[in-house]
Formats: sequence, structure tokens, C-alpha cells
Amino acid sequence: MKTVTINPVTRLEGHGKISIFLNDEGNVENAYFQVPELRGFEKFCEGRPVEEMPDITSRICGVCPEAHHIASTKALDAVFHVEPPPAAKKLRELLYSAFFVADHITHFYVLAGPDFVMGPTAPKAERNILGVIAKVGLEVGSSVIKHRSDALDIIAAIGGKRIHPSCGVPGGVSKPITEDERNKIEAISKSEVEFAKFTMKLFDDIVLKNKDYVNLITSDTHATETYCMGTLDEQNRVNFYDGKIRVVDPEGKEFAKYPPADYQQYISEHVEPWTYLKFPYLKKIGWKGLIGGKDSGVYKATPLARLNVAEGMATPIAKAEYKRIYETLGHKPVHSTLATHWARLIELVYAAERMLELSQDSEITSPNVRTIPTAIPDEGVGAVEAPRGTLIHHYKTDAKGMVKGVNLIVATTNNHAAISMSIKQAAEGVIKKGEVSDGILNVVEMAFRAYDPCYACATHTLPGQMPLHIKIFSKNGAVIRDIRRP
Amino acid sequence: MGDDGVGIYVVRILKGKIPLRADVEFKELSLGGLRLVEEILGYESVFIIDSIASSGTVGRIREFTPQQFKGTQYVSSPHDTNFATALELYKKLEANEVPKTIRIFTLDISPEFTFTEALSPPVQRAALELAERIALEVEQIRN
Repeated sequence: MKTVTINPVTRLEGHGKISIFLNDEGNVENAYFQVPELRGFEKFCEGRPVEEMPDITSRICGVCPEAHHIASTKALDAVFHVEPPPAAKKLRELLYSAFFVADHITHFYVLAGPDFVMGPTAPKAERNILGVIAKVGLEVGSSVIKHRSDALDIIAAIGGKRIHPSCGVPGGVSKPITEDERNKIEAISKSEVEFAKFTMKLFDDIVLKNKDYVNLITSDTHATETYCMGTLDEQNRVNFYDGKIRVVDPEGKEFAKYPPADYQQYISEHVEPWTYLKFPYLKKIGWKGLIGGKDSGVYKATPLARLNVAEGMATPIAKAEYKRIYETLGHKPVHSTLATHWARLIELVYAAERMLELSQDSEITSPNVRTIPTAIPDEGVGAVEAPRGTLIHHYKTDAKGMVKGVNLIVATTNNHAAISMSIKQAAEGVIKKGEVSDGILNVVEMAFRAYDPCYACATHTLPGQMPLHIKIFSKNGAVIRDIRRP
Repeated sequence: MGDDGVGIYVVRILKGKIPLRADVEFKELSLGGLRLVEEILGYESVFIIDSIASSGTVGRIREFTPQQFKGTQYVSSPHDTNFATALELYKKLEANEVPKTIRIFTLDISPEFTFTEALSPPVQRAALELAERIALEVEQIRN
């Protein structure tokens, strides 16, 4: 039995820790976002049969297990040098599109929506999904949970269960779907497309027709100009399941385009002593610190970054929305952090449309859903776009398929530097000459919530323990304010 | 992994202790917030068993009601809503589906994280004790 101890102590669940350092004038000099994210999976998976990885890694996160499951499954395809049949890829993508629908619905209505529907200065007791429901009505609330639940039903139909689906095998998926299941999935998909359109309209009415919100979205105080990364199909359109990774510079010019298997030629990871989470950066540019611009290797991998690297969307309504965001904002790429919420809704539309397309594909009920591997396993990379950014699983095995090494670059890791930069920007707006405005928690939360960072499992809070902790330090290191979410 | 997985460990003991019954179901889950609440909908009575990292005595068993988590209802989380908020949401939208009784049992574990496939001795003892207690409670529900 293996035992690995992590020291110093920390745990994954719940703590977003932010440290803000002031200069002599009492203004923000630096801000650091610390995520005590466990890298333990990369270590304790060593010695396991590699076929277990899709089920093990789906437990990394209770909110996005599907992302890890599918990325891991694709890594197995590569490890075993096997090509899944078309129906298997389509089923994986169908499950994955359903996951995106559920996830993006949740993020907009439950996490980000309250900021806009209730307003960023609304009392904290109202600025949550309960406040949203009170304002927009129970019917909308019921529709939110219905469409989320329906999307999870699609995941269950393909993956065996709503939670931690388990269908990925090297060379395909574990089972096909029946015509009856296909009919149900098609009916749900049609409803999801309508709900995505409704959500887009809600965003229009509440956010885009509100001048103050538009100013908030487009202001420079919430913009970080960095390189952007995302996965695209052969026509440079956003694809969540498969494609090449493209990176554009802060002005939108292509910097790199590569298959995921080559990621190590393009990405390195910088280590800082004050956080367990590394900072991936573009190798050829180099690590220059937590700064943006063309000469800094910092990049973002978010819904907005995906739209920035793409030249369009692959489905009609999403394509029209893609055109609209850039026409409205007047330029491309867009670097305003809060525009990420808009981009996320465009992706919701795409995911719903793609679900419908796949459900109507003539191959989707094919019984041929697996190619049995015959090669000796060794090494492979699987990548997908998780809702919050590019996700890479890289495995090395011995000849018997036992894991020798694992490297995971999870979506939030890609954005670690950018999140810190956004938090610094947000803090600069509310901390002046040593005076800290009461709105600091809200403003800082809005800045990093746009990235939808993945780290908390809220059931591990005791009454009274809160997951957001901000410390503000003077130039000489004394704590000026210690703020926890009350 | 290790003590962090004690909830699942207790459930597995209970599966062995409680004779097969059509009205009793066991679930092993690694999630929270909305997904956790969705998994308990439609049941009459639910026991949730989980670990809590604390500076208290390792192996301490405590019981909570959802009401005691109400103070966390407005806690910020960038990635999921918390259990208390999710539960309140479903009470407003699907009240009939929310279990009448929700009992939350926690076992204290050390905040120092050790990856292992086994429980530490104090947590293992506590897990056995808790499983015994819950098995009796479940038996009384039938009676």
C-alpha cells in the first residue's frame, strides 16, 4: 500500500485565498490568488492500470467530472494507439455537449447571473440564485433546473449515470444508444436550443440594454491583454471535443497552432513559492511575471479566449451571436474579463445546437462503438476544452499498461496568472491610499468568477467557515485588513 | 483517499450491515452543491455521511441538520453553489421532491492530507461506531 504525505498542510476544498500588498502610498502593488489545489492525482495514480484513469480522474471535481472523463478517455486512445469508430466519437461529443449545456446554464444562472440580475451592489443575502428566482420568477427558476436536469439525463443515457458517467474506454465507448434513447435525446436537445436562445435574450434585456453593465463589461479596469488559447476544428471554429490548439497574441495574430500531443513544445510551467498551483506560460515568449502584453508568456484559456482564437462557430445561431459580440464591442480580440459571461452564453447556444445535430446524425445509433486496442501501450495525450479552458491529460505507462507518470494541466491552471492579474485590477479600483472600500469582496469576486475557477466543494464548509479570504498587507508586511465572506 | 473518503467507507460498512431492502438505497458520491441535492431528491429520508477537516479531535462524530448550514447559504463559491443554497432552491422549486428528513453526519479528520487507501486508526474506529449507530436508526425507520 502506498502512502504519500503532503506537507505543509492544506486541502483542496473551499479556500480561495487572496493576498493584496500595498505600496508606500497605500495603493495596490501586487495581488496574489492562491489556490491550494492538490496535485496528488498525478502521484497516486502511478502504479494503477491506465484504464482506470477515466474513472479516477473524474473524481478530481464534482462539478466537471465529464471533462476529465473524456480527456482521460482520449488519452487512453493515444496510449493504446487506437482510433475509435466515428459513432464512438460522436457519442462522446454528444455526452460532452450535454455536459457543456448543463455546466454553462449553471454558471450563468447560479454563479454569474446574480451579479447582473440582482446587481453587483445588491445585499449579499439577495445576490445568489435565490435572489434571481425571486426577481425573474419561479417559472424561470423551474426552467433552469429542468433544462439542467434534462442535460444530465442525456449524460446518463450515454454514460450510464448522471453523476460521474463511466463510458470511456480505449478505442471507443462502452455501449451504443438505442433509437428510443436517441428520440428522447433529440427532443431534449430541441428544448435546450430554445432555452439557450431564451437565456441569450435574458442577457440582452438585463445586461446589454443596461448602459452601466455594458460599461462594466467594456471598461479597461477589467481587461487583461494576454495571449489567448482554445481548441478549434479544421475550419478554425470552436470545438469542445477535438481539434488543434491555437494561440493568438494580444492583437489577435496567430502565434501557434499545434496538436495537443505537442503541448510540451509550447507550454512550460513556472513555479512560485507561495502557491501549490503552477503558472503555465508560452515557452517561446518566456515567463516575465504576472504581466500582460505581447512580451509576456501569460495566456488565458476561457470561453472568451476560445472565441478570440476562433474565426467563427460551427452552428448557425451561435455563428450569428459570435458575429454580434465582436460587432457590438467593436474589435477582436476582446480582453474585457466580464465579456467572458457573454462568450459563455454563445457557447451555450453552440453546445445546444451541436447536441441537436449529433442527435440527428445517422450514425449516432450505430452498434459499432469500439475498436479493440491491439498495440502495446506506452504514452499518450488527450485534450478537450473544459467549460473553463483547455484541459490536458498526459499519461505514460509500462508495456503492461500500468501508469508510470501523469501530467494534468487543468483548465484553471492555464488561467492562474490571468486570474491573479484580474484580481489585482479589481483591487486597484477599490483600494486607494490605504482605504479599503466595503465593496471589495463583491468586486474581487466578480473578477475571478468570470473565469469560473474550479476548486471548491461546498459541502465541506462547517457553519461559520467561509471559502473566500482576502488579506491586505501594508508595505512593511503588516495585515491592514483581513476579510472573510461573512 | 484516506480519511477524506471515510463517508464512502461508512456506506460500504452499512451495505454489509443492513439486509437488502427495497426501500433503502446507498450512494457513493464525490460531489457537493447542486449535484448533491439532485442526488437526494425523491427520497423520504436521507443520511449524508462525510469527513470534515478540522482542528478538533480526529474521529469526532457530529450530526447536523441542513438548518445548521443556513449560515453558509450566501457563501461565495466561484464554481458551484453550496449545499444549503442548492437545498433552499429546490425547496422553492420542487418542494415535493426534497426529503422530509435530512441528517448529516460528519467525522473529523486531520487537515494534513495523507494519500493512502486506508483510514487512520481513530477514524476507522469512529467509522465503525457511526455505521453501527446509523444501522440501528435505519432499522427503527422500518419499525
